[in-house]
Amino acid sequence: MLEEAAMNKWWGLIIILLLASSAPAGDIDQSQRDAMVRTQIAGRGIKDTATLQAMRTVPRHLFVPSSLADSAYQDQPMPIGYGQTISQPYIVAYMTEVIRPKAGQKILEIGTGSGYQAAVLAEIVKQVYTIEIVPELGRTARERLQQLGYRNVQVRVADGYDGWPEQAPFDAIVVTAAADYIPPPLIRQLKDGGRMVIPVGSPFLVQTLMLVEKEKGGIKTTSLTPVRFVPFRRSP
Amino acid sequence: LIPPTVCVAVGLLSAGAIAFQLALMQILSITQWHHFAYMVISVALLGFGAAGTCLSLFRAVLMNRFDRAFPALLFLCGAAMSAGIGLSQASAIRFDSYLLFAGTFHAGRLMATYAVFFVPFFLAALAIGLAFTKYSHRIGVIYFWNLAGSGMGGLLALGLMWILPPREIPAILALIPVFSGLVALRKNSGAVVLSAATLSLIGVAVAILHPPALIPSEFKSISRAMQLPQAQVTLEKNSPYGLLQVFSSPALRYAPGLSLTYPDAVPVHRAVFNNGDWIGPLLSPQEKNISPVMDFSTAALPYALDKRRSVLVLNMSTGTHAVQAIRRGVESITAVEPNPVLLSLLAKELAGEVGGLMTHPALTVEKSDSRTRLLTEFLSYDLIVFPTIDTFGGTSGLDAIREHYLFTKEAFGDAWHRLTPRGVLSVTCWMDYPPRHTLKILSTLIEMLAERGIDDPRNVIAAVRSWGTITFIVKKTPFRPEEIQNIRAFCLRLGFDPALLPGIRASERAFFNALQDDLFFNTLDRLLSPAREDLYAAYDFNIRPATDDRPYFAQFLRWKSLPNLSEHFGSRSVPFFEIGYLVVMLTLIQASLAAVLLIIVPLFRTTGRHSGKSRIFFYFSGIGMGYIFVEMALLQRFVLYFGDPLHAAAVVISTMLMASGMGSYASARIQALGAQLPLVLAGIMVLLLSGGALLTPLMLKTIGLSPIAKILVSLCVLCPAAFLMGIPFPAGIRMLAETSEDDIPWAWGINGCFSVISTALATIIAVEAGFTALMAGGALAYGLTLAAGRFCRHGHGKGEA
Repeated sequence: MLEEAAMNKWWGLIIILLLASSAPAGDIDQSQRDAMVRTQIAGRGIKDTATLQAMRTVPRHLFVPSSLADSAYQDQPMPIGYGQTISQPYIVAYMTEVIRPKAGQKILEIGTGSGYQAAVLAEIVKQVYTIEIVPELGRTARERLQQLGYRNVQVRVADGYDGWPEQAPFDAIVVTAAADYIPPPLIRQLKDGGRMVIPVGSPFLVQTLMLVEKEKGGIKTTSLTPVRFVPFRRSP
Repeated sequence: LIPPTVCVAVGLLSAGAIAFQLALMQILSITQWHHFAYMVISVALLGFGAAGTCLSLFRAVLMNRFDRAFPALLFLCGAAMSAGIGLSQASAIRFDSYLLFAGTFHAGRLMATYAVFFVPFFLAALAIGLAFTKYSHRIGVIYFWNLAGSGMGGLLALGLMWILPPREIPAILALIPVFSGLVALRKNSGAVVLSAATLSLIGVAVAILHPPALIPSEFKSISRAMQLPQAQVTLEKNSPYGLLQVFSSPALRYAPGLSLTYPDAVPVHRAVFNNGDWIGPLLSPQEKNISPVMDFSTAALPYALDKRRSVLVLNMSTGTHAVQAIRRGVESITAVEPNPVLLSLLAKELAGEVGGLMTHPALTVEKSDSRTRLLTEFLSYDLIVFPTIDTFGGTSGLDAIREHYLFTKEAFGDAWHRLTPRGVLSVTCWMDYPPRHTLKILSTLIEMLAERGIDDPRNVIAAVRSWGTITFIVKKTPFRPEEIQNIRAFCLRLGFDPALLPGIRASERAFFNALQDDLFFNTLDRLLSPAREDLYAAYDFNIRPATDDRPYFAQFLRWKSLPNLSEHFGSRSVPFFEIGYLVVMLTLIQASLAAVLLIIVPLFRTTGRHSGKSRIFFYFSGIGMGYIFVEMALLQRFVLYFGDPLHAAAVVISTMLMASGMGSYASARIQALGAQLPLVLAGIMVLLLSGGALLTPLMLKTIGLSPIAKILVSLCVLCPAAFLMGIPFPAGIRMLAETSEDDIPWAWGINGCFSVISTALATIIAVEAGFTALMAGGALAYGLTLAAGRFCRHGHGKGEA
């Protein structure tokens, strides 16, 4: 019993030490997130309060490879392996704001990647369905989201082309991985009045986000602001 | 006398080194992108330069042990060749072009790769240099074997590429230096040499039995495709035209910029990649039960205009546009494709997959370069389809330094002449932001029309845009009202918007697909106005049309715009606008630093500070620079003549090396300090300057000849200059051997150093100023040698070259 008590005491001490050592790190992460939102996101015109709050909440550094965790809150995309990237924070916020997410909505995401965009959406809406085609990325993202307590995100490893017909229609669809065509099933699974956002362009270049709107059966697209908020200089 | 074994060994080693160089170029094209070819040339030349320096530092030691050092170096070279590819693919060293500008990490790996590839060239060059020094009195003979062997090496590499997969070729080539080592082996070689022989044999055997896997950049199309479920390469064929891979996955679909009104499922297709880059899907003209995907793309625009009876498809690739023409009921289709291996695959192994495309009665397939076809056949067509420009998401400027003779002002003009009176040219391109490719297509079309007296092209050009692609069409005669109506109906049916159309209204330009701002439309309109010269000067990217003299369609970088682009898009994004060109700049910087550090600096320790040193510097730097400038210019220009870089390289490199070899052999007859050497140098300058001006007209006159006849024309054109260009180097070395033997390594080093720097520099000059300027640069460099040579004539005593 004494030995057990001693062990418990040691464990308690270890836990206290771990907590003590992690507490400042947590503060730093939060302050980095706050700074990221202030300078990179709100500073560039994102106004939606739910989006800003979600970006302040989700621990981005846990969604990037540990070797890059120190630069997780920098204003840049980062490689996550398999030729995929985690988007620049501003892009994630912008894509989130563009679809006008609201509590109670059902959102489909194509291209889970690290799971960061799904986590941001899950902070706002009722349910997020996310599909990843690379099995390794999909499995890792599922485990990560579960560990972080996101119970309203379902991850499926599959071809995003078919969408998620069992759960259709969706209020909005976020396609995070650029493709050279927009799968017709996704158009069909979008609610009338729904919005889809999709990146066009190389992940390392200046991506242009495209908004697809379905209105009374008709489809219109709008190319949105590129990654960098300052518009390209017009020729004189 | 020179032992024949030494001559044979030098010849074999030279062949092995050049063949290894070409094999490395192919491997880097597969694992990375083609522009690393320049890195390989730089590394090889750096090895040669550094060997000269090493020779100067350890000359006495090496020369005293020539019989052992020479074969030992050959064996070690074989060992280094066999290990090079495996090491470069090791996870600790493997670099990725895309990540070179995303931090310093991969720049370090690039340096490590440099080092790995440097070693075999250094060892080969040291062995050759040792032979040069040992037999400097008969330098012409050794130089002949060196150049002739190099010429044969080029042919050997091309031969091996037909029969072996790329990863197996370097190990086979490593056998050559090992064999040459055995040829040069003497009875009293000793334990060290025998150890080197054993080591190399073991290394080569391991590399042959277990060739390393080639791991492409994770950003190459094939790497991304391989992440799809059940992805597999079902067929692979290597050739000098590249490594063709047939790929399948149940998730691979092809529908570029598909209209959002497309009603069916997008079908799954297999696809073909070349050197890891996407070249096309395998579509069948017999595909049933689905709407043809291509009819729901902007590429269908010319068919919406009117019925087409005859179509010419340029660079047909896997036949996407040919299939579209067949399905639209075109009666006579000619498709041109330069890659014979791809055509053979489509006709045989993949015949079922493409539904008998190659035997379709409406289709005639010709193995030819598209530009050559436009220049040599004089039939007329209702529609000429150019290949799609750029890829989805852009190539990040990876194509910037590749010659595209099909997208020049002259090429569009050649196509224009092949149109029937109702004929149409069609070019499809991915939309990009900031706009670059799209604008350069339009500027090229407009300038082409202006040269043909059509100053207001608005009546003959139309363009239609989807959410992702844009198709430009140019008609020989002004659009008729019913044709304009057909275009509007086409747009309405598929959810596309006209971007250019006679009588277009601003409101219809972005009805279905709105853009983020008016930049694109405003710039299109300015290009169509007489003020387009001002736009060229003011725009942040180079959108001036590419020409045959500067055939770099995909080169958009303007150095003066970098600060502005950095400000708007962030300094981290900017490199990816022009990564290909920036890699060449990086290569230039790295190679120049390495050349100075490894070649020049150590030589200061050993060379005396006499007045003749600067003369030697100018004499040999001129040769190093001039030879590479001319070689690079001719390589670029002969791509137009032979239609593909491969045959151009084979003819130019082999002819130049062999002719220069003969020149060096003949150099023994030149009285170096007499009147003949200046005459030779002046002759080189005259030939280069006149060649720069006359070569293109001559090529265009004779481009329709048979390949054999074209090779003969090339020999006539190349041999005189190359013969003379082979003389100044051995003549200079011989002068030094007579007057200042200690300065030979300094001369060799200078020549090597400037060769290294000139490789990347030549590319930059070609991109910035064009082929004619590069040839003139070559002539100027020989002028430098001439001036230094003239000084030499007045020099006296030791150190006066």
